[in-house]
Amino acid sequence: MRQLPVLLAGLSLSAAALAAPASATGDKWDLPVATKKLDNGLTVIVTEDHSSPTVGVSVVYHVGMRLEPKNRTGFAHLFEHLMFQGTPNAPKGVFDKTITGGGGRNNGSTRADFTNYIETAPASSLEPILWLEADRMKTLDFNKDTLKNQQDVVKEEIRVNVKNQPYGGFMWIDIGQHAFQKWENNHDGYGSFEDLEGASLDDVRAFHRDYYGPNNAVLAIAGDVTPAQGFALARKYFGAIPARPVPKGGDFSEGLNKVEKRVQQGDALAQVPALAAAWKMPERGSRDQAAMAVLGELLAGGDASVLYQGLVKGRELALNTDVLFGLTSPWEFDGPTLFTVYTMYKPTTNADTILNAMDEEIAKIVKDGVDAATLKRVKTRMLADWNNGLESFISRADTLARLQTLWGDANVVNKIPGWIEGVTSSDIQRAASTYLVKNNRTVIDRKPIAMVDKVDVIGTQTAPAGAQTKPLDGARK
Amino acid sequence: MKKLMLTLAISMMFAPAAYAADAPATAKAGAMPAYGKDKPIPTPKIVKKTLANGMTVWVVPRQGLPRVDYVLAVRGAGYAADDSAHPGFASLLAGMINEGSARRDSRAIAEAAQGMGGSVAAGSYSDGISVQANAVASQAGAMMSLLAEVARTPSFPAKEVELAKANALQALRAAEATPRFRAERAINAAVYGEHPYGHTQPTESAINSVTQELLRTEHAKRFRPDRALLVITGRIGEAEAMKLAQAAFGDWKAEGPALAETAPAPRAANPARILLQRANSVQSTIRVGGPGIQASADEQVPLRLASTILGGGFSSRVNINLREQKGYTYGASAGARMNRVGGAIVGGADVRNEVTGAALTEYFNEYKRIGSELVPADEMTMNKRYVAGGYLISNQLQGAVANTLAQNWLIGLPPEFLGQYVPLIQKVTPQQVREVSKKYFAPEAQSIVVVGDPAAVSEQLKPFGEFKVSEK
Repeated sequence: MRQLPVLLAGLSLSAAALAAPASATGDKWDLPVATKKLDNGLTVIVTEDHSSPTVGVSVVYHVGMRLEPKNRTGFAHLFEHLMFQGTPNAPKGVFDKTITGGGGRNNGSTRADFTNYIETAPASSLEPILWLEADRMKTLDFNKDTLKNQQDVVKEEIRVNVKNQPYGGFMWIDIGQHAFQKWENNHDGYGSFEDLEGASLDDVRAFHRDYYGPNNAVLAIAGDVTPAQGFALARKYFGAIPARPVPKGGDFSEGLNKVEKRVQQGDALAQVPALAAAWKMPERGSRDQAAMAVLGELLAGGDASVLYQGLVKGRELALNTDVLFGLTSPWEFDGPTLFTVYTMYKPTTNADTILNAMDEEIAKIVKDGVDAATLKRVKTRMLADWNNGLESFISRADTLARLQTLWGDANVVNKIPGWIEGVTSSDIQRAASTYLVKNNRTVIDRKPIAMVDKVDVIGTQTAPAGAQTKPLDGARK
Repeated sequence: MKKLMLTLAISMMFAPAAYAADAPATAKAGAMPAYGKDKPIPTPKIVKKTLANGMTVWVVPRQGLPRVDYVLAVRGAGYAADDSAHPGFASLLAGMINEGSARRDSRAIAEAAQGMGGSVAAGSYSDGISVQANAVASQAGAMMSLLAEVARTPSFPAKEVELAKANALQALRAAEATPRFRAERAINAAVYGEHPYGHTQPTESAINSVTQELLRTEHAKRFRPDRALLVITGRIGEAEAMKLAQAAFGDWKAEGPALAETAPAPRAANPARILLQRANSVQSTIRVGGPGIQASADEQVPLRLASTILGGGFSSRVNINLREQKGYTYGASAGARMNRVGGAIVGGADVRNEVTGAALTEYFNEYKRIGSELVPADEMTMNKRYVAGGYLISNQLQGAVANTLAQNWLIGLPPEFLGQYVPLIQKVTPQQVREVSKKYFAPEAQSIVVVGDPAAVSEQLKPFGEFKVSEK
């Protein structure tokens, strides 16, 4: 992730709307989705909305942490940074300044299965944005200065988010290292400093050549543009970029875990203990996927959720509860991923008590299912949240590009509400009893270092590495 | 013609290879295209009304997604109203708003909101508390009722108060572990001194001393219709919105004397040098700051643009210098923060230990430069367009629109400011930017706060003066 520094109170503003965008009847909302594949394999998606004279653009490449070279942990993300470092046609600084001068904002991020590049700006900037995206798809300015500069910046990113922070992102970085078996799924996507420093210009060239061709990418444009305009511009700027061979990915699949794994970590910076419990999710496209999504919302979607009411309120054990679906959402993954519950708990309790409380709540769902009124409430909020997430043109474009990349069908955006609606109480019972079971669970108990009990490593398959080496490293992951 | 010239000027600066100096932008095949024609900046249409009890209601109907957004802003109810024994009290008060009402307990409130596809919750700021609510369009009426219920009749159940206090104490411990929390606390105290703007974070004793009675009394004093604004936006008609507002809030009465207005914040401070100890920290969290101005001050618009140029985005001066040129940090920013009766100038970055002193030097170099040299025309243009674009982009989000209107009202800006902002920014001259920068970004006026490892950084800080080393 690049970063927009946010120290300042927002200077943002405004109001006014012109015409109705997507069709909206009652509380339902459907997005128009027009898709076209160029001859070079680039998939282009346009979703039209003239309610604001702006556009959102997303270019998603089908490569992420899972596909980075084995001795180059963190490379997919480092490479994301290098995509902003200029090309022979648009040297360093041009990219950001052109977007800024066009009134826009840009960013990028790296996930297990994809890397995205996003912009939003007044519609007058659409052509320069597409030119810039096409330009860096063609070639980068490979040079040692910008590589060194971004190695430094990424190291600072890791310091600020991991090494210098209490908890150090253990609920999303460390948990996968323990939950998964295959290297592609379980290595640290932020990377070791050693691997980051070892990245060479040849690595950069090879990664760009292999994974950043048009045939491995999706371009989505949302907002003040018609499909005809969008497709014509895509052809104009991207059409002449030749397709490039993409290395075949391996088989990343893993079954569910069969033995619970528990790890204790000491944290030199934290003052309050925290816990992450993660269960392997059903595969993308599985009939259980929507049920898991609804179950996740039921368990931890806000103050009305089962775990908030059960752990923070009822039993008064925890300060908060939160859930993660990998680093994306229940709909945006293409390999093994996790459903993770994260909670900061009170020093007067312990991990066993927290886990038992969670298990009790889950057991109730398995046994009794969900009453109709609760299920309706949960679905109503979920559907509203789904629409809310598509409000801004930048996330609208990005969601379409991600769904196209992962599902091969951007129109999944309009199918998901129906999938949510279709989930029944028995689907939720089945999902809870299949996935949210102890043996499929990985737990990290992260404590202030003074609270760490040196012999308290529970669980059968945990090498004590988690307890013996990590505490000394504190927040380092 | 003007547009083309402007675009060319920018492009030539940024993409010299792509633009021959004497060729129009479109002449070269494969060159970066010029920006297209800009569409007019839409001016917001706000329907305004004052209810008989003095409450202000603004409606901004929109045709976007099927949702309504409400923001009930209560002026003077925020941190500035907290007494010195209860810093941060406003956040507890806000947090308790949806933990029980005359009709419902906390769980029932949460479930009702969930069933409407939205939420209702309050947040606290220096100049006020705002209760925000949203729901799917079909639940507009029900959510309006729920909003009024929690805002007007919170019950502060004893059990919820105790739980909130216990959790707030733990949350404070957790926050204390983050360098950012400590840095913000120290820079605010350095900039504002004893003024309540300088003490917005809670302390252990402040949390411990909160009682049900205190919450009730303060709620009664702070929440009153004559100090409240309700913004309504989304898929709702103007008449319907006004009708709902009248039904939910029309019989709300102001009782007792209103709280006093907040005294003006200081415009000057003795620059402090503070090193907050954090053993084994691998980074220094830096804040550089001094007093600024209130949001309604004459100089606010040039100061906002100066802030954008200096530290407001990827292409800002401090970010390009410290991140892109030097690689010291993941992100650097700087600029003005403006409240109702005063403001602050704050810059900050997290940098690795070895470059702590060097980063401060670069901050001050940039502060000095923007206060002494005129910003070049192309950089002025780029940043003005950046501001205008931001206006259009945030305009897409109806919740953001409602919030901005409410925030502006809390800090003393009229509703018209929304539509005036971009045109006002476009009129700012390089001379004005230099002038306000010289005044407010003067290096000698800035306090410095560093949260880090004294063993690793003390030596580097010596050129910047004598640092007081402390725990808090």
